[in-house]
Parts: sequence; structure tokens; C-alpha cells
Amino acid sequence: MSFGLPLRLVRTASFGLALLYATLLAVSAVILGFIVYWTVQASIDRQIGARIDAEIEILKGELRTEGSAQLTREIETRINYFGALEYFLADVDGNRLAGNLSNLPTTDGWSDIAIADPPRGKDPKYFRVKTVHLDNGYRLVVGDDLASKEDIHRAFLGALGWALLAFLVLTLTAGALLSSAFLRRVDVIGRTAEAIIDGDLGSRVPLRGTNDNFDRLSATLNRMLDQIQLLMESLSQVSNDIAHALRTPLGRLRQKLEVVRATSGANSKCAKTIDAALDETDNILDTFSALLRIAQIESGTRTAGFRELDVSKLFGTVAEAFSAVAEDEGKTLTATIAPSVKFWGDGDLLSEMLANLLDNAIRHTPQGAHIEVSLVNHGSQLVASVADDGPGVPPPERERIFRRFYRVEGSVSTAGTGLGLSLVAAVAELHGMKFSATDNMPGLRMTLTFQRGVINTRRPRPPAWRAIDHDLAHAAREIAQRAPERTETVRAQS
Amino acid sequence: MRVLIIEDDAETAAYVVDGLRRSGHVADQASDGRDGLMTAAGGHYDVIVVDRMLPGVDGLAIVKTIRSAGIKSAVLFLTARGGIDDRVEGLEAGGDDYLTKPFAFSELLARLNALARRPALAPIETVLRVADLEMDLIAHRVKRNGTDIDLQPREFRLLEYLMRNAGRVVTRTMLLERVWEFHFDPKTKIVETHISRLRAKVGSGGQQQLIHTIRGVGYVIRSPS
Repeated sequence: MSFGLPLRLVRTASFGLALLYATLLAVSAVILGFIVYWTVQASIDRQIGARIDAEIEILKGELRTEGSAQLTREIETRINYFGALEYFLADVDGNRLAGNLSNLPTTDGWSDIAIADPPRGKDPKYFRVKTVHLDNGYRLVVGDDLASKEDIHRAFLGALGWALLAFLVLTLTAGALLSSAFLRRVDVIGRTAEAIIDGDLGSRVPLRGTNDNFDRLSATLNRMLDQIQLLMESLSQVSNDIAHALRTPLGRLRQKLEVVRATSGANSKCAKTIDAALDETDNILDTFSALLRIAQIESGTRTAGFRELDVSKLFGTVAEAFSAVAEDEGKTLTATIAPSVKFWGDGDLLSEMLANLLDNAIRHTPQGAHIEVSLVNHGSQLVASVADDGPGVPPPERERIFRRFYRVEGSVSTAGTGLGLSLVAAVAELHGMKFSATDNMPGLRMTLTFQRGVINTRRPRPPAWRAIDHDLAHAAREIAQRAPERTETVRAQS
Repeated sequence: MRVLIIEDDAETAAYVVDGLRRSGHVADQASDGRDGLMTAAGGHYDVIVVDRMLPGVDGLAIVKTIRSAGIKSAVLFLTARGGIDDRVEGLEAGGDDYLTKPFAFSELLARLNALARRPALAPIETVLRVADLEMDLIAHRVKRNGTDIDLQPREFRLLEYLMRNAGRVVTRTMLLERVWEFHFDPKTKIVETHISRLRAKVGSGGQQQLIHTIRGVGYVIRSPS
């Protein structure tokens, strides 16, 4: 929130729009300001010009009626008036007769001059002056201080600056307010979507009843979600129905085989075949259960079993149970488990997950192999791994081993449903863990990484119903192939 | 023992009832929830087997009603689904055990036996005995014929469960659930491995073997007589 919100505010469409408007308005304000400025400046220029022209006319009249000496006196008197203009009067030879202007223009007519003003300040003063030759050959210069124009210039720039600043602050604030209101509503929709992704299919965007754009969009989204939920429910219903429909006859098949087994003699050849048929049926049923379990875990709805767990104890129990098995098969299994690691999850599923990994490692390594289970805390990460020094899995196949029914070449003959690692992947996903297979040099290393601080409840993949249908077809084919075969054999023997 | 089966699938019900009768037990059947509830109330059954999915009424609701009616019979749920969350829900509703359909009859029988013989108020046992094998639950020691047997903690739990059910067959799944708390089927021979280790320790030195394998069913510990 500290850094994220301001950044998110700035990135919203409404903030961008506010910023664009602000820029356009500021540009128009500046243009308008300059037009006013130029108009005012021009009018001041006109006033100064008119005043100087009028003064020159008065002084010319003075010369005509009173003569040169009186003109000189008159100028001396005018200098002392309050708010007086500036003057300079020179005779034919250019000698100064009266006036206070020091720096003189060289040409006749209008010009602007700068006069240094050492006693009062560093800046020179600027004057607009007009130079004329009088009838008696004298040269008269009348000027006016341009300070008033300067003042207006400064005042104008200051005012424009402040106005722009205020303008910017106001628009940005308005933009931020608008954007945060906008963001709040977008966030509500976002949160709803997240909840649905996390498996809460019943979640809907709350409406405000204002019937504005957002409300209408939310209502449309909600209707879409209703539709999706309905579809998902009917899909899961179909899957459950298929599962139920196939499991029931399979169960009956199993029951019948058992009845036959109970009535046949214990050591007859027939009994052995029936036992084998029972085993096959159990295998098919196992495959079926595993498929349904994976589907249910992947749908992300199984979080009722989530508890605060001592995962160290849990892993210890599983590792201990399997180490005896490994030993009997001529392999060694060692466990390095950090003590008292707490984790929020489903104990049954996590045990099953580790059991599958260990079962996999024991099954696919040769005698004398070493298998290592570890659980360590790496700062904010919790890392669990199962590593072996067996033949490993070549890189291109490593990603594929998580797929349903995938078997690495050469391992097809070994027992197993080919679903063990799919289940591991599904459980890892449900708990928000990252599951990867890497080269252990030599061998295979399966690593489960959990980043603490990330919410680890329910992060399922999209429901893999299509995959289930495919898997169901696969399982059904298997049943169809095996069942008659067995029945034939039994019939031939009895 | 007296068993009531509340199951809508006639074939499965017949299979269970036949099997139980053949094993010398009394078995009644109800094919829907209401019928089941009425029979359960009047029958003084040791165990009631309830299907989770029944037409009309959910198995969970039936068990809740049975429990609220004060019927003390043990309850075993039959679950047909993937089994996910069903176990917890079933136990919370007042069930004592569960079994996923389809099942081997031997598995059901072993579980029913374990449930039926569980006394309502078990006297607290401190020493378990089978022939000359003696387990002191307080001192956590096992002796055979006076000689101490050194067991790993898990082996101790395994032997304890077998001895508590002395003379009764316990299945592989029951052991996985009660000894390891594994509510899934590890495809590995965990139980077999540990049983053979335990057997080697308990029957060392040419002493008579007490732990027997019942092929295709499970294990039993019993006196040689």
C-alpha cells in the first residue's frame, strides 16, 4: 500500500484523463494570460508615448511664446514636480542647458535607454525617450521611466506562476480522488475474480444499486459467473455420475469374483486366476480412485482438511515408514528434516504426496541406490526435496512425468498407476507450492518449494475436466480390454 | 454380532448380508433412510453399516438422527466417492469408521469385528498379554518369556494394536490408519516390511510365532493353543 497505491493511482485511466485535461487547460490559460499581458503592455506603451508627446508639445509652445531662457527655467521647474518625466535640453553645440537625463540616445525619435543608478541599486533603470530638434536648433529629450511596465511584467509572471501551481495541485488532487474511487470499484471486481480463481465459485461482485457504468458491468459479470458456475457444476456432476456409474458395476464385478473365490477350492487353478482377476479389478479401481482424487484436489475445493500442521513430524513418520522398505530392497533412505516446521495444509494429502515421491524413488532406482529426503527452512522459503542417485530422467521427459499416465521409457513394466506424480503436482498446487524435477547428477531430484508470506490456501489450476474425460475414456478402455480376457480364462478353467 | 445394513443397492446389500450370515452373524437390511432409522431404533444392533449416498436422505443425516435418538450402536460409513473429505465429515456426524466402496468383504468383516467388540466402557488396561508375550503400556516395555524385547516406537504401536485386537484379524488398511495414520494407500509394502521386522523380534530364538498372516486379508496375533 505504501508504494503500490500512488503508483497504481497514477496508472489509472481516469488519472491519465485528468492529467490530459489539466495540461490542455494549463496551455489555454497560459495563452490567454499572454494575450492579456500583451494588450496591457501595448496600452501602457501608448500611454507613455502620448504623455511624452503631450509634454513635448507643451515645451514647444513654451519656446514659441516665452523664448529659450524661459524654456530652460520651465524644464528645471518641471523636474521637481511629483511623478515628473525626465528631461534634457541642449543648445546648438550640444551643451547641456537643463534636465536630469545622463545617457542620451544618438538618434532622433523614439528609443529605449538604460541608465545606471549606482546609489540606489545595482540594476540600471530603463527609460523610453523621444528626441526632437526644436525650432531654435536646440535638442530636447523627454523620457518616462519604464518601471511601471516592469512592475506589471513581474506581477503578471508571478500571478501566472501561482495560478498554474494552484491549478496543477487542484487538478491532480481531483484526478487522484477520481482515480481512487475508480480503483476501489475495480479492486472489488478484482477481489471477486481472485476469490473465484481460488475456488470460491459462489463469489459475486457486490452491486451498489446506483445503476452506473460500474454497476451495469458488475451485473453483467455476475450473470456470466452464474452461467460458468452452472456449467462447472453440471460438469462435475457428469464426472461424478460417470465415476459412480462405472464404479458400481466394477464393484459388483469384484463382489461376484469374491463370491466365486469363496466357493471355489482354495488351491484349485481356478482360484489362482480369480485372485489375479481380483487384483486386476482392484488395480482398475485404484486407477479410478486416483483419477477422481486428483480431479477433486485440482478443483481446489478440498480445503476443509486444512490445519496448522507440524510438517516435520508428518514427514518424519512417512520417511521412517519408507526407510524400512528401502532397506529391505537393498537401498538406503536418509532423512534430514528441520525440527518443528509449522505449515498450513492438509495432513493426509501432504503425507500421501511425500509417500508417492518416496514410492517413486524406491521403485525406479536400482539396488544400492541412496535416497535422501530433506526439509529445510531457507529464510522465507520452505524447501522439501526427495533426491536419488538412480538413473534419473532425461531432460525432455522431466516435464512430462507429471502428466497423467505418463511413464518414462523402460519403466512401463514396473507396477503403478502412472498417476503418482500427477497427484503430487495437484497436492503441491493446492498448497501453493512449486514442484519441479531436476538433475541430481546422477539421479533425479524432486523439489517442492513454498514461499512463506504468500497465501497458501487454494491456488488450484483450472479444473481439468477435459483431462478427466480423457482419463475416464482411457480407464474404461483398459477395463473393456481386461475384463473379458479374465472371464474367458475363468470360464475355460471351471 | 448383530449388524444392520442401510444400503439402497440390493446387490451390494445382499452380498454383505450373505457374507455376514455365512460368518455366523445376524444381519438385517434396510433399503432407505426412513426404514433404516426405524429398524435401527428397535434392533439393538452392535454395528450399523450406512451408505453415504442414499436416495432421498443423505447417509450423514441418518447417522446424525441415529445419534440424536440416543442409539449407541457403532456406525460404519460406506463411501462410494473419491473419499475426499468424506472421512472427516463422516466421523464428525457420529460415525466410528468408514470404508470406501467397492471393498473386499474380508475388509468389512475385520472392521465390523473391531467395532462390535469394542466395549462401551473399556476398563483401562495397563498390561496386554498374548501367551508369554507381555506388553506394559505404562513402562512402555515388551517382554517375551521374561526377556526384554527392544522395539522402535512405531513397532511398539504396531504390536500394541495387534495385541489389543488379539485373536481378531486386522487388515493392512486398518494398520495403516491406526498405526501410521495414513489415510491413503501407499503402493509400497510398508505394513509387510514392518510386520516381518516385528515378527523377527518377537519370535527370535526359535520361539513359537504369534503373529500370523491371513492370506489376502491381514494379520492376527494369537496364542499358539
